[in-house]
Amino acid sequence: MEFYTNALAQVLTVGPLVAMIGATLLGVFIGALPGLNPVMAIALLLPLTYSMDPLVALGMVAGIYNGSMYGGAIPAILLRIPGTPASIATTFDGFPMADRGEASKALKIACWSSAVGGIASAIALMTVGPLLARVTLHFGPAEYFWIAIFGMASVGVMVGSDPVKGIMAAVLGLLIGTMGIDTLSGQARFTFEQTWLLGGLDLIVVLVGLYALPPVLQLAEKCDLKGLSAAQLKLTNMPFTRAELRSFLPTWLRSSGIGIAVGILPGAGGNIAAFLSYNAAKNASDDPESFGKGNPQGVAAAECGNNADNAASMIPALSLGIPGNVVAALVLSALTIHGLQPGPQLFHQNPVLVGGFMMEMLLTSVLIFALGGTLATRVFAQFQRLPGVLLVPSILILMCVGVYVINGRPVDLWVMLGAGLIGYLFEKVNVPLAPIILGMILGPMAEQSVRRALLISRGDATELFTRPISAVLIVMTLLVIVWPVVKALRRRRLRAR
Amino acid sequence: MEARQDIVLGLALAGLGLAAAWMARGYAGASGIYPMVLGLILTLLGGTVAVRAARSGSRGARALVEAPGKLLVAVGIATLYVAAVVPLGFYTASFLLMLAMPFGLGLRRPVQAGVVAVIFMASVYLVFTVLLEKPLPREAILSILGSSG
Amino acid sequence: MTFKAACIGLTAAAALAAPVLAEYPERTIEMTIPAGAGGGTDTSARKLAILLEEKLGTSIAILNVGGGGGSVGASQFMQAKPDGYALFATWNSPLTTVPQVQNVAYSLDSFTPIASTSETAYTLCVKADFPATTGEEFLAELAANPGKYTYGNDGIGGTMQLAAERIFQTRQIEAVAIPFGGAGETLQNFLGGHVDIYGGSISTVLPYVESGEAKCPLVTSAADVPALPGASGLEALGMADKETLLWRAILGPKGLDPQIVSLLADTIEEAVNDPGYVEFLKTKGEVPNVVKGEALGARLQAEFDALAAVSKALGL
Repeated sequence: MEFYTNALAQVLTVGPLVAMIGATLLGVFIGALPGLNPVMAIALLLPLTYSMDPLVALGMVAGIYNGSMYGGAIPAILLRIPGTPASIATTFDGFPMADRGEASKALKIACWSSAVGGIASAIALMTVGPLLARVTLHFGPAEYFWIAIFGMASVGVMVGSDPVKGIMAAVLGLLIGTMGIDTLSGQARFTFEQTWLLGGLDLIVVLVGLYALPPVLQLAEKCDLKGLSAAQLKLTNMPFTRAELRSFLPTWLRSSGIGIAVGILPGAGGNIAAFLSYNAAKNASDDPESFGKGNPQGVAAAECGNNADNAASMIPALSLGIPGNVVAALVLSALTIHGLQPGPQLFHQNPVLVGGFMMEMLLTSVLIFALGGTLATRVFAQFQRLPGVLLVPSILILMCVGVYVINGRPVDLWVMLGAGLIGYLFEKVNVPLAPIILGMILGPMAEQSVRRALLISRGDATELFTRPISAVLIVMTLLVIVWPVVKALRRRRLRAR
Repeated sequence: MEARQDIVLGLALAGLGLAAAWMARGYAGASGIYPMVLGLILTLLGGTVAVRAARSGSRGARALVEAPGKLLVAVGIATLYVAAVVPLGFYTASFLLMLAMPFGLGLRRPVQAGVVAVIFMASVYLVFTVLLEKPLPREAILSILGSSG
Repeated sequence: MTFKAACIGLTAAAALAAPVLAEYPERTIEMTIPAGAGGGTDTSARKLAILLEEKLGTSIAILNVGGGGGSVGASQFMQAKPDGYALFATWNSPLTTVPQVQNVAYSLDSFTPIASTSETAYTLCVKADFPATTGEEFLAELAANPGKYTYGNDGIGGTMQLAAERIFQTRQIEAVAIPFGGAGETLQNFLGGHVDIYGGSISTVLPYVESGEAKCPLVTSAADVPALPGASGLEALGMADKETLLWRAILGPKGLDPQIVSLLADTIEEAVNDPGYVEFLKTKGEVPNVVKGEALGARLQAEFDALAAVSKALGL
């Protein structure tokens, strides 16, 4: 306990406080712009902090990370453009809500859910995290393979009305995921002799094209010359009723749990957490049909899930010295620069710093309540008051700058444009886009893990099934696939009576 | 069911899958099996979509595009913009886009468009060039001014 | 006029005329790093860039271009204009190792070597209960059990794997290489018991050596490493010529003005020997090592040739 009170005292000084507030706002903004992501922002800011008090630097990291995971929800809800890969699941129900005039409510749900997820995650980081971190070491390549398969099973919720096309989209995503140099053999696959393709297609570039261009083109087709009036925006601040809050509680609990579990595992990210949380909320619902049509629970599940991943992803980094994602790697490199040695002794070596950073992850989550709810959301909603035809070039420019700064190469702009046109046509012929992105994320994880596992077992495939954690994951995967079918059958039988 | 569109879609993806499987045939060892299997599955699924559509035989076409004129203008200007970003420089091309796109889509209020363009570009400049120091394609116009001056 | 403007505009990083040393540098320098943010090369380069900014009096913009084990960034940088405003901060692998296993568009001639900055050895570590402790025992145990042990490394055909295989080939050792995405991932699988041997950078595994959970019988440098007192250097094992190091350097595009090269090389040397930077390198288990200009070119060529022989023998 003294550990945390000491840390709290250090964090509640002017420097770290200003850093956290500023960075959380900046994070919301970065998350809201498609193409800009927290990794880029943190990588840019960290060198500036080498000469600063480490708690100020880490406060900025915490703010940007937590803020951006919420920020991604803003364009997802208002424009159906996910600001980050982790907010794709937010578009499923957030945009339909906005479409029927409940944008402000959807944003508020996203804000609260993000904050709750972040807080739950920070508490996990401060309490059980270090104990759980040791457990994750039992996850070897075979287990990671099953996690990827488990994630893919959640594709079921996003295939839409036509399962064949949904699965087709997922397979297309898996195929895109194989592009580039294969890390296990050095073989270049589908690179067409182009050196820029050796690293494969960049996920963010494809995401921005696939998801942002179709809404922009539709905006152009609508050709709105006037823009919404303030009244049409309906940004009235409606407080949640107690009944509403109570209805979100189970979703928040479930999504927080999923987000934290995914976060602790090195290598699995917030995007997977959001998909899994959404899937779980839909499976648990009495009315799964209403998901995808503007069910507030869908927004709550996705946003709570992706923020609950954040602090938890720091658990393996801080307690074992193993960075689970790029943000964690950046935090570790910042600690190294401040003369600390990441690893199991970090807690004893500098408890104030480690505890302080955990506190900052917690406080910046709380800040989302205040900063995300009113200020940031209002600013972004003003965008919609512009005539649609002015929004079209503005979003296009933001897409281009966001894509260009990732790798600094012009050809990415053409990839984005191409992906966007394909996305536009796919939507028109009922091919869902989310499975493509999911395939791109999980495909490489599944393939590399299974091949590593087979290398370790010297080609014996039974090793994939016999390990205890693998067995649990297999059962869970089967449940995820079978559960909705069972429920649908039962409902049909009830209706028949 | 919109049969013709689905037949084209199915055949296109089936072709893509076949091509991928064909290319993967030459890849070393285990690195080729996985993409080849994926390619074949894609072929199978694409074929299913096409065959299913051909069987259902409904001919009620669904409009692919709501306003073909506007879409064409938007895609055309967007393509020109992407092509112009490197030769003209990012800010020059973007500013032109801010003016050309609304005009092309029928907005006839140049003052409003101009004001929005200036404010918007200024904020982009502040964020990306001043704050984040991100290198963007250099402005050709500066080079011209620079070399003559 | 318009023709000239078009020519200038068509090159991404356009400069006006031949750079005059008196004015150099007068605008932002763009530094390409062929790896994602947060890794070892990235951290070292960013820290160094801050010192260089002070000494050169200009700002340095960092561009991370990851992928393909560094080959994507290297290929992209190759096309930059040799005006001194495009620099390439890399580790040795994309230049000397990756071309052995990938079909890359660049060669050593595509770059102008400026200066190396720091170096460190790779290490091979095992769990505390492994039946060998010294370097000699370790190699004997591996040689006695061909194909029994697995070792994690940074990727197929990566420098780490070649460093290990050079040693293994000399002693006719057969161990199963399991490629991972980086030292962190290797460590995770080593601690979890999924692979028997950790192969990677020293700083990553160091805390576990200090806590007694792991022991490192071997480093891939000729000399011993002070941070790992239990590990044998290759000289002690009679294989000094099989040394393979991880080292970092800054290069320019082909055809960079020699005056700029020597100005940059001297500035880099100053920055690397800054006490703050030396201290920083120490926490990462690295030591400053500055080889400038043509000497650096010769070092790259020698390493390239040695690794070519290894990868040929491996059949990569």
